[in-house]
Amino acid sequence: MSYYLTTLQNITNWIRKTASENPVYFPEKFGHASYRFAEVKADSDIQFEHYTPTVLPPVKLLIPAREELLSFKKHADGKTEINPTLDESFRVIAGVRPCDLKAIFLIDLFLKDGVPDAHYLARRENTALVGWACTAPCDSRVFCAAVDSLHHTEGADIFITPLKHGDLLVEVKTELGEKLAAGTDWQTCDDGPARKVGTVADMPEPFGRTFPVTAQDIYKNVAEKWKSPVWDKHVERCFSCGSCNLVCPTCYCFDVSDDMNLDVASGNRTRTWDGCMLPHFAVVGGGHNFRPDPAARQRHRVKRKFEYLTEKFGHGAVCVGCGRCGRQCTAKIDIYDIVADLINEGDQ
Amino acid sequence: MKPKVAFFDFASCEGCQLAILNCEDILLDILNLVNLVEFREALSEKAPRYDIAFVEGSIHRDEDIERLQNLRSRTTVLVALGACACNGNVQARSNFVAPAVNYEVIYGEEARNRVQVDADHWSLWSHTRVRPLDAVVKVDAYLRGCPVVPAEFLHLVKSVLHGTTPFFPPDAVCVECKKNGNECVLERGETCMGPITWGGCNSICVNNGYVCDGCRGTLPHANIDSHITLMREHNIKDEDIRNRYRLFLGAEPIGRGV
Repeated sequence: MSYYLTTLQNITNWIRKTASENPVYFPEKFGHASYRFAEVKADSDIQFEHYTPTVLPPVKLLIPAREELLSFKKHADGKTEINPTLDESFRVIAGVRPCDLKAIFLIDLFLKDGVPDAHYLARRENTALVGWACTAPCDSRVFCAAVDSLHHTEGADIFITPLKHGDLLVEVKTELGEKLAAGTDWQTCDDGPARKVGTVADMPEPFGRTFPVTAQDIYKNVAEKWKSPVWDKHVERCFSCGSCNLVCPTCYCFDVSDDMNLDVASGNRTRTWDGCMLPHFAVVGGGHNFRPDPAARQRHRVKRKFEYLTEKFGHGAVCVGCGRCGRQCTAKIDIYDIVADLINEGDQ
Repeated sequence: MKPKVAFFDFASCEGCQLAILNCEDILLDILNLVNLVEFREALSEKAPRYDIAFVEGSIHRDEDIERLQNLRSRTTVLVALGACACNGNVQARSNFVAPAVNYEVIYGEEARNRVQVDADHWSLWSHTRVRPLDAVVKVDAYLRGCPVVPAEFLHLVKSVLHGTTPFFPPDAVCVECKKNGNECVLERGETCMGPITWGGCNSICVNNGYVCDGCRGTLPHANIDSHITLMREHNIKDEDIRNRYRLFLGAEPIGRGV
């Protein structure tokens, strides 16, 4: 781990230089008022501070919406040939905020657990992450501080923190980060950790939306609630369109299908995003649906984020408070409101 | 034995059959695997029985009903091809307007009177009875959209050839919009039929800067009350909401009810 001091201009130039050598993804403005992670081109506008959460979180660059897992072919002699499809191309994702870093850190845990997800890990191991500390809430819907993701830096190869007087403190956290930083004229900084305390640019207090309980106590408030009117209240307007799942940086569920070619001898196995709010998500063989009504599906979703995966992995809430689901929900349902209602409801 | 495949059409623009003829890169491969026995757009042969009948178009007249029932009795699998066959499509708007009224707008008062008194014109009244195929016969599979999506057609054909059940997920257009990373139409300040509409179109209209008009029909779990509330919150007048619903969904119960 080494620390450097530099300026925003130097960092921007460094990103452009890196992008001329390898694909670098950075938030770009598009449409009416949205952002997305897109490959940096010569004329890209590189602005670290001023972007609202991207429509899709950066982790989706590592779990594409539709991905071939393997291809197969049956030969004339009866033998079947199977070839896994792994994407090992190198890429850099820059301008990643702490909430999205925490999400990638969590997805790393989930997809290494049990049978490791070779397809995700191939991409992940060939991806460098350049993080950027937030000094102001990026959107009115965020509640990152309330779920303890505002100061997350683990998983980043390089992490940049704006200091009080306009300089940037650059933490190079991994070997891969060292490689990317090689040849830069950033000024070495011997008292990096000390500078992280005290000289960091001012941050508002409270930061974003807050809950009346601490991040640790959210778990208890959600775990105790199986039967609660809150589960019915918020789904009244739900379209079951799954937007909340699909834009969530810690949702990773997928469906697998085998697509045969017309020759009936070859084909491929692909996976596509799935989501627990979609009506057929919990349909099993024989046609039974374990969660046919939206209230049961929403309870499952909220409990995954604040109870089930919290218990299993022990890293607190699996919701990182980015506010994407609430912003993207066509029916204006916000997971923050659901959790706030559960907390305010008190003991039952 | 190659399966016998046939194409038929009722009230439609035949654009869905054309969309299939446009799949030139795979069409010849498919033709090697099936026996195409009737296809007015492409051949003149006729056959007594079919394994798969693709039927385009909506049903208006009594003779359409007889012809469709006859087709149904001669095919093992009947596939509704496109929005006209699946949900009635735009022509179902005529279900809400008397033909005489339309005639007056286009041809004047004299035409309006003639339509009503001359028995030769009475068959025009069938245009107020636009129905999808499944209002008349059992439909085994639906290829939705105006026009149909070639990838879904291919998926269905492969499933039939391989003896598997085709799967068209009952997901809203929103799912594909998110997969494509689109900015939500609502974020642009416009309204959209996407949240209540069958996906499978790869959100092609929104990808290209338009909104979803709902051509693929309403989902079985569509939350219509919530959708109407949403439209009203965007200051869309009730009359315009009704028009949005009746554009493609006029023959669905929901289009009649809104």
